[in-house]
Parts: sequence; structure tokens; C-alpha cells
Amino acid sequence: MMDFSPSPEQTELVERARAFTKEFIGPNSMRYDRSGEFPRDICREAFNQGFMNPHVPAEYGGSPHSVLDHCMVLEEMATGCSGIATAIDANGLSQYPVILAGNDDQKRRFLAPMTEQLMFSAYAVTEPEAGSDVSRVKTSATKIGNDYVLNGIKWWITNGSVASWYFVLARVDDKPTGFIVPADTPGIIRGPKEINLGQHASNTVRVTFEDVKVSEKDRLGDEGDGFQIAMKTFDHTRPGVAAGANGIAKAALNIALSYAKRRRTFDKKLISNQGISFKLAEMMTRLDAARYLTYKAAWLFDQGSDNAREAAEAKWFAADVAMNAAIECSQVLGGYGFTTEMPAEKLIRDAKIYQIYEGATEIQKMIIVAKLMRMREVH
Amino acid sequence: MFADLRRITARIAEKFKRRFYGRTFNCPVCHFEIAIVDAGKNRLLVCPVCGVVIDIEEVYGHAVPVVLEVELFRPQPKARVHPLATHAPIGLYPFAVLGAALLMVASMARPFVPGLEPMLTGAPVLADATLVLLVLSVGLSVVTFASGLWDWNRRYRRRSYRQIRLKIAFSILFLLLGGAAIVLHASGAVFSAGSGLVDLGSPLSVTLAAVELALLVAGMVVIASLGHVGGTLVYGK
Repeated sequence: MMDFSPSPEQTELVERARAFTKEFIGPNSMRYDRSGEFPRDICREAFNQGFMNPHVPAEYGGSPHSVLDHCMVLEEMATGCSGIATAIDANGLSQYPVILAGNDDQKRRFLAPMTEQLMFSAYAVTEPEAGSDVSRVKTSATKIGNDYVLNGIKWWITNGSVASWYFVLARVDDKPTGFIVPADTPGIIRGPKEINLGQHASNTVRVTFEDVKVSEKDRLGDEGDGFQIAMKTFDHTRPGVAAGANGIAKAALNIALSYAKRRRTFDKKLISNQGISFKLAEMMTRLDAARYLTYKAAWLFDQGSDNAREAAEAKWFAADVAMNAAIECSQVLGGYGFTTEMPAEKLIRDAKIYQIYEGATEIQKMIIVAKLMRMREVH
Repeated sequence: MFADLRRITARIAEKFKRRFYGRTFNCPVCHFEIAIVDAGKNRLLVCPVCGVVIDIEEVYGHAVPVVLEVELFRPQPKARVHPLATHAPIGLYPFAVLGAALLMVASMARPFVPGLEPMLTGAPVLADATLVLLVLSVGLSVVTFASGLWDWNRRYRRRSYRQIRLKIAFSILFLLLGGAAIVLHASGAVFSAGSGLVDLGSPLSVTLAAVELALLVAGMVVIASLGHVGGTLVYGK
């Protein structure tokens, strides 16, 4: 049986997220976009309302949502501002490796405190010469006694300068290995905030590791497990990234619709012109298609099924839909869509990153093709 | 240090503004910051700076203004009494504050700096001059206030704008603060008529001097805010 209707609990959750977005995120999106300040006050409110750390298991103090529920919440938040939504949600990317491969002691030390007070963590994998090709990471971890000594540079680390701990991928004798590294460990140098094209509210920095000593008990899994942990994390987080892109597409559609229904041109409402109304129809259809891909990928994960292909499809498609919707929104607004006083230009800047981070669009297509190559026929 | 001070002041001003204005958006034409609540139930408002008629709607917390019309032939203030009058109180008031502050500093330094005595012969004149400046500044602000109300009636057609509400509230506050400072100063209870200085031996004089200083400083903040808000109404963002 297929059922597309959300449960009463999901409806209630989405309504709460929508109210939170309209009250705290949307009205402040321009301000944080212009200042580039980290939205700590909004994160605190999100924490108090239970929207942060939705992945932490109940035995470690969390009140976990399914990935599908989380995607629905994230879509609402990203409709307000995808930069602020990223700041609120980025903990999940670093928490998931611990959930996936951490032992009980690691989960108690690193996950449980995050449910008690507002804290941040960061996923430190990307390096200046290793982005989409994660296997190229050069950060080294040298075993000395019961400790490892880390050296290397991690680049474009979301939440990097506010994190209390990092998930770090480093090489132990050429074996990619995951570590949990407390941020106050001597030798960690956090760089300044990067001035990116969009998502200005999200904190992205360089983190340098210089002779950083990490205890053996903070290694995740065995030596050499790191690559698998890092990649498996994306099966969990990619539907969420797609949901963020859907939020941008939804914001673009709502803004374009609101404008087209009220702006008058040639003695009639803008929406009465087919050239404009068809754009809105296309935006709505693409958004629905992206949503169904996203929800399917999330649902598969919740069922415990392999969702690598569906997550890649959702992430790629939703990112393109968001980019297209933002550009079309700007087109509907005409000259006003090109000014910084209207939200359309921000959507274009924010949408671009969805085609790049957590695996560029081309990487998603490689994943899909890799799965296709193992199929005899597609059903 | 000055950068820190500016940042703290800007943060306080921003918090106050957000509390008083509520949610705002920028006019897409002149970039003037307008409170959404000024639009009322019909969602329409006229930008007080550039005169465009805006239909404002909030979508997921995003303000989406749509320009529907331009209000042409807006009456200009005749003789420009308000812009001219407004600079007199703003120009004179800081010197009154400076005069009072100098007299208070001199009163405190007098017992500790023996060489200061000959320079204090002019203190009664400074005290009188300070009073004259205060009376002129606060008195002329009545003219400013009245001409501002006239402009609001003519140019802005008595439309409710948060900026104008703030200006009216702050003008009344300034008159109260300035009036109280004048009464204190003129009573002779703060600066004695003979020496022109605060009698440090009298706890009442010292207390009243502190009150006058607080009134003057508060008045300074209020009049500076009035000038800033008025400036945005003329020049936009």
C-alpha cells in the first residue's frame, strides 16, 4: 500500500517548524545574510524548541526524528533561510559518524552533552586538494604510544569556528581513519570565516591541525574504517541536503507567486500573463518532483534499506530545481529581482552551494551510474 | 576602544529599533527602512521618503513589497521651518551639556588643584551662559516640534509611520528632560549663585548635580536619536 499523506504527528511537527521559521528565521534572514554573523540566538531558540540534534538516539538524551520527519522540518527552515537552517542542522553531519561507528563511551561523552545545552560540532573531512575525491585526504595521524598525532589542513568546515568537537578523517599509515577531536585540544587553529557567495549565516572556516594529540579512545571504529564511515554518513544526510534545496525552491515559488498576484502590468495582474503563470506552474511541478525523490530517499533510509542511489538522485535533482526556481523567481520579479532589497537574489546565491557541497552534482550522477551498472534492467 | 563603543552603541540602538518598529523591510526604490505594521490591514503604505505606494506581504517571514503606484505632487514644507529650526536645538544643546559638565568637573577638582582657583572666577558667567543655552535649545525645540507636526499634517498627510511616532515621543521626552534640567539649573540648588560651582559640602547639591547631569546626558541621547531619525526621513537609508 502506498500512502502519500503525512501522519498527524508529522503534520504537527511541520506546522511547528513552519511557525518557528516564520517567527525567527525568515524575518532575520536578510540581517544575517548582510552581517555574516553566526545566528547563535536563533540556534538557541531552535535548541529550546527541540529542532536541533534530531539524530541523537534516545538513550543518549535525544528525541530522535526519522530522516523523513527531519527532511520535512528542514525544508520548512530552509524556506526561511538556508544559511540559518544549515547552522541549525550542521551538527547532524558530524554526529552521524559517531552514531554509526562510535562506542557507548564515545556517544556518552560527545553526543549526550549536545542534548543538554546548545553546542556545535563539525565534520572535518574536506581538504584544499581533496573535495569531491575524499580518498585524496592528506591529513596524517601518526600513532605514538596510545595516542595519535594529527597534522593537516581541513577546509570549508561548516560550524568550524563554533564547534566543540570535530569528526576528522585522517590517514594512519595510508589507512583513512575517523577521529573525534575536542576543539580545545592544543594545536588546533581555526581560521577566519570564509566570505562565500551565499549562505552567509553559515559558519565556514579553515581548521588547521598542528601536532594535535588524540587519544586512541577517540578513534572511531578501527584503523582504515574512516572512508566507509564518512561515505555512509552521506546516505543519511543527503536527503536532508535535498530537503534544504527544496526549501529554497519553495521560498522562490512563494515569493514569485506573491509578487505575480499583486504586481500590475499592461493593465492586468502579472500572473495573468501566460509567460509568467507557466513559470509558476513549472516551479511547482519541479518542486513536487524534487520533494517526492527526497521523501523516497529518506523513507528508504528509515526502512533500513540501501538508499545510496535515491539519495544521490534527490540531492542532484533538488539542487538543480532550487537553482532554477531561484533564477525564475528573480525573472518574475523583473528589475526588483536583481536588487539586494528583495529576497530573490539571495536565493540565487544560496541555491548554488547545493549543487556543490556534500558531493557535487557530477558525483551524484557517478553514484547513480555506478548503481545502474550493477543492474540487468531497470524496473 | 572607539570601535568597540560604536559597536555596542549600534547594537543597543538596533535592539531598541527592532522593539519599537517591529518587523521592517526596505523600500525597494529608496531603501528607507519601513515598519511592516505601518501598512495596516489593507497592506498598503506610501513610502515617506520617495512616495511610492507599496503593497507589502510577508511570505515565510520574507517581506515581499510590490510597488503599485507613485504618489506625485507631494506637498513640500513651505519655508522649510522644521529643517531650519531643528538644527538650533541640536547645535546649542551639546554646548549646554559641555558647560554644565565643565562646571561639575571644576567643582570636583577645586579642592585638589590649588592653581585652579584664579581660573574659576568666570564660573558664574559660565553657569549663566549654560542656562541661556539650555533655555534657547529647549525653547527652540518647541518651535521644531510644532513645525514638525505641521509638516506631518501636510507632507505626510497624518499617516502613521513608526519614525514619526518615535519623533513625537522623543520630542516630548526631550522637552520634559530639558525642562527639568532648566528648572534645576535656574533654581540655584545645583550651581550656587555666588561661585557658579557645586557645593561639595552639601549632599543635596551633589545629588541634584548628579540628577542634572543625568538629565542632560539623557537629553543628549534623545536629541541625537531625533536628529538621526529625522535625517533618515529626509535622505532615506
